[in-house]
Amino acid sequence: MKMKKTLAFFLAATMTATLALEGCGSTADSGSKDSTSTSGESTESAGGAEEGIEYGKVIIFQSKTEIMDQLNKCAEDFTEETGIEVEVWETSGDSYFTDLKTDVSTGKGPTLFSLAPGSESVTMADYLEDLSDLSFADKIAENMADEVNGKMVGVPYTLEGFGLVYDKSLVDPATLNSTDALISFLEKAKADGINGLGLSQEDYFLIMHILNTPFALQNDPDAYLAQVLAGTVRMIDNEEFVEFAKVMEAIRANCTNPVDLTYDNNCGDFATGKTALIHQGNWAYGMFKDYEVEFEMGVAPLPIVGNNKVAVSVPAAWYVNTDASEEEKASAKAFLEWLYTSETGADYLMNQFGFIPVVEGMTSEKLDPLSQSVADAAAAGNTIGWSLSNWPAGISTALAPITAQFFTSDMTGEELVNQLNDAFVEAAK
Amino acid sequence: MKTKKIIPNILVVVFCLLYLFPIYLILTNSFKSRAEMYENMVALPTKFSLKYYASALDKINFSISLWNSIVLTVVSIAIIVILSAMTAWMFVRSKNKLSTFFFGLLVATMLIPFQTIMMPLMQEMNWIGNHLHIPMTDTVPGLIFMYIGFGAGMGVFLYHGFVNSIPVSLEEAATIDGCNTWTLFWKIVFPILKPTTMTVIILDVIWIWNDYLLPSLTLKSKANRTIPISTAKFFGQYTISWNEAMAALVITIIPVAIFYMFCQKYIVKGVAAGAVKG
Amino acid sequence: MKIKKGWYALFTMPLMLIFIIVVVIPFVIGIGYSFVTWDGFAKHQADFVGFSNYTKVFRDERFLRAALRTTIYTLFSVLSVNVLGLIFSLIVTTALKVRNFARTMLFVPYLIGGLILGYIWKSVFSEYFLSIGWGNWLTNATRAMIAMVVVTTWQMAGYVMIVYITGIMAIPDDVLEAAKVDGAGYFQTLFKIKFPLLMPSFTICLFLTLSNCFKVYDVNVALTGTGPNYQSEMFSLNIYNEIFDLSNFGYGQAKAIIFFMIIAVITLIQVSITKKREVAM
Repeated sequence: MKMKKTLAFFLAATMTATLALEGCGSTADSGSKDSTSTSGESTESAGGAEEGIEYGKVIIFQSKTEIMDQLNKCAEDFTEETGIEVEVWETSGDSYFTDLKTDVSTGKGPTLFSLAPGSESVTMADYLEDLSDLSFADKIAENMADEVNGKMVGVPYTLEGFGLVYDKSLVDPATLNSTDALISFLEKAKADGINGLGLSQEDYFLIMHILNTPFALQNDPDAYLAQVLAGTVRMIDNEEFVEFAKVMEAIRANCTNPVDLTYDNNCGDFATGKTALIHQGNWAYGMFKDYEVEFEMGVAPLPIVGNNKVAVSVPAAWYVNTDASEEEKASAKAFLEWLYTSETGADYLMNQFGFIPVVEGMTSEKLDPLSQSVADAAAAGNTIGWSLSNWPAGISTALAPITAQFFTSDMTGEELVNQLNDAFVEAAK
Repeated sequence: MKTKKIIPNILVVVFCLLYLFPIYLILTNSFKSRAEMYENMVALPTKFSLKYYASALDKINFSISLWNSIVLTVVSIAIIVILSAMTAWMFVRSKNKLSTFFFGLLVATMLIPFQTIMMPLMQEMNWIGNHLHIPMTDTVPGLIFMYIGFGAGMGVFLYHGFVNSIPVSLEEAATIDGCNTWTLFWKIVFPILKPTTMTVIILDVIWIWNDYLLPSLTLKSKANRTIPISTAKFFGQYTISWNEAMAALVITIIPVAIFYMFCQKYIVKGVAAGAVKG
Repeated sequence: MKIKKGWYALFTMPLMLIFIIVVVIPFVIGIGYSFVTWDGFAKHQADFVGFSNYTKVFRDERFLRAALRTTIYTLFSVLSVNVLGLIFSLIVTTALKVRNFARTMLFVPYLIGGLILGYIWKSVFSEYFLSIGWGNWLTNATRAMIAMVVVTTWQMAGYVMIVYITGIMAIPDDVLEAAKVDGAGYFQTLFKIKFPLLMPSFTICLFLTLSNCFKVYDVNVALTGTGPNYQSEMFSLNIYNEIFDLSNFGYGQAKAIIFFMIIAVITLIQVSITKKREVAM
């Protein structure tokens, strides 16, 4: 028995020891990997890397999951051309901002990350490195680089625009030039048995995007928003919002109930010719490609009060983490430099990611039809801004339930606008 | 007698198949293109192509992810089972204030929603990394350590309940035969606990295998990713690459399904000696 | 039986130490955060506000409604999960030929954790139900809640089935034989013999389902989110939104602490009640 006891004890002891050792082994491994990468033996001077500067490893973390595969390949090419190590972290679209927040707050943030310019970049202002020394900084299209507290901190991904995405075989966009024209089209579509205008149940596609237009059409959208938030003006006293209310009532009366549609369904109906117009943006094209859509399409303005402009803005931009080491920051900047100025980088931006060029001198011939129509609107100056990026944080979760209520009851458009207005005032408190 | 038994058998099978309708949706739609899926979600696919499986396998870096998931699950659970069986048995057999306190604490903390402690947890783990130089984040052993902590509650809770039903007399007899506490536990008690061990293993395997949130916070580098983290990218903010996501899901559950079939037979065998017969 | 202190420490210390580091310490840190207002960014100032976060919770109508709703949902789910799970476990421990097949199939829903399941069910309750003329269940508050109970039951019945099977298997054969000899019928055996002996399993299953339902998050997010009109937002999601969407870290933590205390009280009451009914062997 005594023998057995000792044996059992030794077995247990060695087991624990091996476990502990295994732990140490693998951690030591990853440690050494890190240290070699920070020493950066890269002396090749291709693309963004310059001689005489120490480069660390770039960790990229970004929210656009659609470009993840291409971005991974892009990172490999960058490493090959410059010798700087890159790692791309992955996440799901929904958990991105939560993950990022936890990471930076616990001191383990990525080097290069994406944010939505506006509310997100303002809250994180003290984590953002000044990027004005990038060689292409002053070639970025006007008003598109993100400036916070007078510093240029964000390099735009692409342009995104939304409005009425139309199927030209079902509707001629030129005829939709006023609220009344739009409403009579919706009535006619209902009589023809097709869905005139599709919204869908997601917060942004149900209300946020469509509500942007009346705000952005004000003479000074920022000042107007401030007045709404302060409660000194009421939205319903404003012509744009009155017409917006009419459009919403017409959608409820004539179209498929948006709360029954998901983004996928809404786009699916459009792609299969069951819906003539959807209030969407150029990002939706990725899905239409899967359907092998053949009809001609584009993005048209939401014509309230005769509006002829599409809402165009920068959906996301690159930011460098100011808490990263000097070597890492140098590498992150080198990566941006390479992405926007080298031939390989530009090829990724425009052909692989399908981005609309935002830097002077870059042109893309391979844009999809929706992006092309956004790019055309931008080139012609026919754009309004995304007022919604300045709306109070979390407002979408307050506006969407009100709108869903509107679509499932007999609330009037005026009541809708008033309740939305109240939600803004409430959120500003 | 025979015909009498056929009907209940058929009823049970039919019920099971109806019960698995959502699984049928996952399977069929993993073969369909987006347009086909949109056309009719319920219909069988018109052609069985493994295209989406191939692209999903490629995109999730399958061999590395699978290996990480296996190591993480197996090692975490082995330690959870060993430590929580030992602890639970000790808590039952020496009922002092400390045992009661810790048991209460373990059970109570099972009620904490993970989202509310994830930020402090990450801060603490990074602190340990920075000040004690034991890397806890972005390492598989670090994550295993955390899983042991989070698995402790349910492990001890389940064992505690079943240890209560083992007569003490058995153990006393063994002690008289000269077993010390260590051998008593491993030779007498642990084998009796086998059905519970199986339950703990099954429930924990599924939890750790499918867990997304905790690994997503700790395992960042490519070499460390598990299957759920590698599949996250199929879920965009507004849209899901359904076919790839479902193909990946099918691939993910096959190993656990096989494992479960193996284990559940074992539950029967473990106790069936002397128990229920037809 | 007397056990030496050294053995006691050797058996329990390793796990307790890890448990304290991983769970208890972060929880205590979390309690600390509940006394400040903070947006969750390390570089930003956290201001000490005493108990005001706590008093605010009781005036937060959206949270209180979420609390009530979660309680109702939990009540129904716990009941249906356990009834169904128990029935399953009784079926698969009979002499039926297909019992092993059934045992596997009924457990499969639990194998597929996480969000994707919620998304699948979402399309069943909205698109599929619309296509067969039952209307979209997720846009009606009551039906959305029923949908959540259905999905929870579907997913967790197989889970508690496992625990019940273990319990049923542990019932000694001689007890059942004795009952048979005494002429007890199926239901008599079930209610008079099996159920009392299954009390430890009931304790465990009720506790596991109770805590899981109170904490429900994945199903909530994927199936209904907060809508319609906040009428399906549960505890965990409400807290999560407060912390990460609205960036009120301290206030969210205060909610979490209160939430924790509520379910701790409820489940401890449940455990002590069922524990009393357990039969010693």
